Amino acid sequence: MSATELVEVLANVRAGDSEAWGELYRRYAPAMFRFCRRALPTAEDAEDATTEIFMKVRQKLGTYDASRPFTAWLYKVASNHCWDLLRRRRIRQDLETGDIETMPLEHPDPGQLERLQAEHSSKEVRTGLAKLPDRARMALVLRYYSDMSYDEIAETLGVRRAFVGVLLLRARHQLREALAGSGAAGELGAAAGRR
Amino acid sequence: MNHFDEMTVLLFLEGQLDAGHAQDVRTHAASCVECRKLLHALEGEGVWLRESLTAEDESIPARLVAAPERGSAPWGWLTAFGLGVGGAYTVWSGVIVPWQAQAAEAGFTQGNLLTMLFFSGSLWKGWDAMRSGMEFVAMATLALILIWLLRRQFRRATAFSVVMAAALFAFALPPSAAAAETEHGDPNYTLAAGQEIKTDLIVAADRIVIDGTVDGDLITWSRSVTVNGEVKGDVISWGQSVNVNGTVGGNVRTFCQMLTVAGSVQRNVMAWSGDVNLDQKSKVGGTVTLGAGDGDLNGTIGGDVLAFMGSLGIDGRIGGNVRVRSGHLAIGSAADITGSTKYLGNHRETVASGAKLGSPVQYTLYKHGPDRASPRYYWHQILLWGASFVFGLAILLLAPGFFYDVTNACKKVAPTSGLGALFFLATPVAAILLCITIVGIPVAIATVFVYVVAIYAAQVFVGTWIGEKILGAAVGIGPTLGRLALGLAIIRAVRVIPYAGALFGSIVVIWGLGALLLTVYKYMRPQYAPAAA
Repeated sequence: MSATELVEVLANVRAGDSEAWGELYRRYAPAMFRFCRRALPTAEDAEDATTEIFMKVRQKLGTYDASRPFTAWLYKVASNHCWDLLRRRRIRQDLETGDIETMPLEHPDPGQLERLQAEHSSKEVRTGLAKLPDRARMALVLRYYSDMSYDEIAETLGVRRAFVGVLLLRARHQLREALAGSGAAGELGAAAGRR
Repeated sequence: MNHFDEMTVLLFLEGQLDAGHAQDVRTHAASCVECRKLLHALEGEGVWLRESLTAEDESIPARLVAAPERGSAPWGWLTAFGLGVGGAYTVWSGVIVPWQAQAAEAGFTQGNLLTMLFFSGSLWKGWDAMRSGMEFVAMATLALILIWLLRRQFRRATAFSVVMAAALFAFALPPSAAAAETEHGDPNYTLAAGQEIKTDLIVAADRIVIDGTVDGDLITWSRSVTVNGEVKGDVISWGQSVNVNGTVGGNVRTFCQMLTVAGSVQRNVMAWSGDVNLDQKSKVGGTVTLGAGDGDLNGTIGGDVLAFMGSLGIDGRIGGNVRVRSGHLAIGSAADITGSTKYLGNHRETVASGAKLGSPVQYTLYKHGPDRASPRYYWHQILLWGASFVFGLAILLLAPGFFYDVTNACKKVAPTSGLGALFFLATPVAAILLCITIVGIPVAIATVFVYVVAIYAAQVFVGTWIGEKILGAAVGIGPTLGRLALGLAIIRAVRVIPYAGALFGSIVVIWGLGALLLTVYKYMRPQYAPAAA
């Protein structure tokens, strides 16, 4: 869908054209579902959230600023919705695991890191992602799936901008550990002594 | 330059370093093999993550193929609303109205129950002030909820003005009037004959004797209170023994071990007491309401008698009706009851010859426990389930984070059960202790109110936890409501079982109460933010 076509479709949706709404939905629903599938713990949650996000999109379409990319706005609505769902349920747990955030990180061995990348498929990465704490998982999804800026991630997750880098780094470490298992995680961490 | 750390490499790769630092990294990487390897590895990891996450190797589920047109039918809300209304009606028609009718029969003829109990001073005039306080708290709570709902619309200046306006409003509130004389015994207190207090008198002493006149209410905390003189208002008394030998122009309200009335009470007597004795010489102009172990009503009572007793003896004159729930009822030969007598008890009444009754005693055998053979009992269970579901729904919508946190806390069975049992037993004791001090009474009332609400709320959290155990963890309002409904239904079903149901109900209360307290404790303890890089 070209930019001009999108503008036209959006105008028609605002005017209440259900055909245009269907077109917009078909265009963006798969990406939104994939986003939700990565951000939320189960497929059922992702399906519910996708529907709810599109209902919100329809309600809030009047607030969309056409000078900004539509996809970015869409991801903003989706990320706020998903994070809100997770936050309601998990906020105390995240606070309780706050000590993990302050633990010193060990440097990875570049060789081990490259082997890890070579040995795991996309699907395995997403399975590993599902094992991460909500905030870590959300940070990775916002950055590497939605391509959000550090400012946008900070705003969505309610953290200081300076903390986003730390969050991403910790999330990467947690993902490596989830993929490698405890034994391999030790192997990855063993490089610390060599640096 | 030393080797750079992983954080610096990540920020460099993500374009988050300023130009100077980025150039340092480039320069160092050009000459350092080890750092160059790390840089390439992390760069590769970024690409790998991006590709893995954006891979389009999943098909969209069938139910998402069609675009949602509008929200699903609010059948859940309609059901909840219907059940809530039904539950409220049941409570109103099954509990409040009969009680109100009984009270009305016993002479409390004010417009409605709330007015009667709280706002017309039948218990205590201070309720008027308390009502203002409650209204203010209710309004403040509503305002806070409104502000919370609109918080995203507020800019800082607006929020500041709201806070300032609220503060000014609080300062502008008129101070409550305090027109009472307060006395502390040393250790005893005596108002001598001929002396007169021209206002309410509040006394805390070991022994209190009122030989003079109190032109207002007499409120006392004492081992022994004796009124030989005159109290023109009410006598409200907490103590071991209360003796009214003189004249009371208003009501007598007591919470004591022994109440003896040998004088005259122009309005009503209400007593929560071990023993109650209305002497032959006593005169009560209005009604007598008793919750007591043993009682003898030998004097003259102008209005009705409503009594919940271990045993009751009537050997005096009663101008109205008598409604008694008691272990035993004995009507003596000097008794003269103008109205009807209804008696709910375990044993038949004994009526001495010579007793004058307006109509024969209507005796009903008291049945212990609910009537499980009646369909109405099960219909009530369904409505009670609906009421608890609506209550849970309200908590979930008003404070979803808190709701989920308490439900999660239910997982910690041992600490929650211990904490719950402790507070379940200790809170009433604390409330009674608070009542000993005048200042503590409002706090005690608030404590009991919160205690009752918390006990009721316990089933909501435990119910949701049970629902999650069966259906799996929920994210979002809809799935949580399903789990709540299922859990509450299970709790309600188990509670129907005789004895075991009562035990299960107690476990649910203690467990849920503990989870609630544990969560509140976690909210109140200081939290430490993680250190920034």
